[in-house]
Amino acid sequence: PADTPDAAQARVRSAAAPVTDVARLCECDLLVAQCDVNCCCDPDCSAEDFSLFTTCSVPVVTGDSRLCSQKAAVYSLDVEANPPERIFKLVDQVNPSIFCIHATNYKQALYLKSPEIPTPENFDRLLDKFGGATFSAEPDSWNLDTDPQNPPDANETETSRYEYGVPVQTEDAFLRLPSPVVSSWCSDANPAGFLVNQATKCIRSVSVEKCDSIQALSMLFYINSSILASVFQVNITVQSIVVQSLDGTRTLLNSNDVLRLPMVLDELCINAVLRVNYHITHTDTGEIIEAAAAFVLGAISKEALSIEQSFEISFTQENAQPVPLSGNPGYVVGLPVRAGFRPQGYPFPVGFLFAALALSSNKHSQLTILQSTSTQDCLAAQGARAPVLFGYNMVSGCKLRITAAMKCQPLAQTLLDVLKGQNFPEYVASFGNSQAQDVLDWVPIIQLHISEQVKSSCQIPVALGIEVKWTKYGSLVNPQARIVNVTATVTTTTLKQLPSGRERIIPIMSSVVFTDISSPAEPGYKAWPTINIKLPFDFFYPFV
Amino acid sequence: NGSQLSSLPLHILLYVNGIYYIFYFLATLAMIIYKSQVFSYPDDFLAPDLAVLFLMAILEVPRLYLGFKGNLTEAEAPLGLSLGLTVGSVVLCVYLLLWQTYVLWADVLLNALLLSAYGLESGLKVTAIAAFVS
Repeated sequence: PADTPDAAQARVRSAAAPVTDVARLCECDLLVAQCDVNCCCDPDCSAEDFSLFTTCSVPVVTGDSRLCSQKAAVYSLDVEANPPERIFKLVDQVNPSIFCIHATNYKQALYLKSPEIPTPENFDRLLDKFGGATFSAEPDSWNLDTDPQNPPDANETETSRYEYGVPVQTEDAFLRLPSPVVSSWCSDANPAGFLVNQATKCIRSVSVEKCDSIQALSMLFYINSSILASVFQVNITVQSIVVQSLDGTRTLLNSNDVLRLPMVLDELCINAVLRVNYHITHTDTGEIIEAAAAFVLGAISKEALSIEQSFEISFTQENAQPVPLSGNPGYVVGLPVRAGFRPQGYPFPVGFLFAALALSSNKHSQLTILQSTSTQDCLAAQGARAPVLFGYNMVSGCKLRITAAMKCQPLAQTLLDVLKGQNFPEYVASFGNSQAQDVLDWVPIIQLHISEQVKSSCQIPVALGIEVKWTKYGSLVNPQARIVNVTATVTTTTLKQLPSGRERIIPIMSSVVFTDISSPAEPGYKAWPTINIKLPFDFFYPFV
Repeated sequence: NGSQLSSLPLHILLYVNGIYYIFYFLATLAMIIYKSQVFSYPDDFLAPDLAVLFLMAILEVPRLYLGFKGNLTEAEAPLGLSLGLTVGSVVLCVYLLLWQTYVLWADVLLNALLLSAYGLESGLKVTAIAAFVS
């Protein structure tokens, strides 16, 4: 037919009209061309199907009940008849209320809005509005000061305190922590929330020619605006600047006052921001008193089309040292096992203090295990250690290449250092929140040595196995994990002398195993309350 | 009896109309507020409805005053003017009855009552004008 293209276009332009006839609407008709069970309005069901139904899942189909009078389709099953048959009635439902809707002159009043169908005329407008990865109702809302709790020129200190999660306000908008949204590209619209420690990584597209004009690569972008806090503004100071060269070596600069802006030098863009770490100090009432930013600046080569930037923000309370607990009180699976040392000269058990414990997040005071590296060479990987996380059994290892020239005793000592690390602790915290002063809350690490029977001259350690025995402690409904016993077993083997020129590769292994030794719990019940009635002795006075 | 041409029924009707109109205005305004909260009532539909209601209120005052004055002074000019304003009020009342965004059953009752009052008034005014002229 000749009118097909126009008619097709006209059909495409208007969306399918919604069905409003109650006799044809059926909510329970989900299967196409098949009868749905107990769906009395399903047109695919025959009389035999109706005779098998027990009830009607949809007894009545109506439009909006606020209309004064409307059609209603009533479905019911007549179970008295043999076989049961479905009864369909079209009735007029009347709303007796005096405020029922008699008529509407507004077509979309009682129906949902149909979306706009794209046509060649409105396509550009729709693409602008909805074409991105995200779209919001009010894209400019972040720039308006809509937060009534933090007006920029507030004189009352109560209303300008920050609460958890509230975006940190700055002069122009908010403190930005660029982060990936949907894809890995950086979006500058992510605000930093107060007391929300975040670390994000995202990719920014760059070009070396225009690198001094890209705002996000310059230090100024990140420390430009000052943070609004109570009655004054807090400037973001530069805490440290680390310059990273193209091959990865980092140097800490001595002077922090110099502002280094990106510029093009020898086909490289130097002083581009690669990493920003914000440190915000606040009081215990929620007022920000200090803000500092530590930068890592790097160079971008000509071929690079994008760089990865990472950002971090951390909040610390003034005059307080954060104590990361590994559980309260029982250990939480995934948190590091806390460990420590007993300083020399303190006798046991007269009250002693543990030194250098996990009162700070110092990695040297945790129980650590050798970390496998990509090179797998034991002697080259010294220093890479991973913290032992409660509940996670770990195995790691490396390969040791032994040549004829190696001497036994230094090799054994080196291997022991590789396996145990520099500061192998002596005590492990029994609970996740054990304090240093509580002597009995710390479990000593039992050291065992397993060596081969042959008492040869050269024994080198080849394996370290740490077994942590823990038990469930406390109430039956909320058991807490408690470490009871820690055993570190070093297995040694004999080193046979090699003929010169030959070399051997020995695998070195270290492992951590967590064993649950809790005894089965016995629920204990309280005794039933008894009614204790005793009459006073002179109750029947004067008869008795 | 013959010397008095002012129509007593017209006077009574105008008086009752005035009181009823105050109730009608407040009730319709309250219902429009109710509708805007309960139903979807976009601003470009709400504005004409409110405008018509307030226009009718503004027209009602001179209409009733001219009606009273014309009837009591037995002058046909004010009565004629009042009749003209009544025609305008009738048109606005018909709008609120038929072409409002949401017409509730209560709206239908109020507007029908007001229309019948206008109709009766117009008849009485025509009779009164005829009596004054002749």
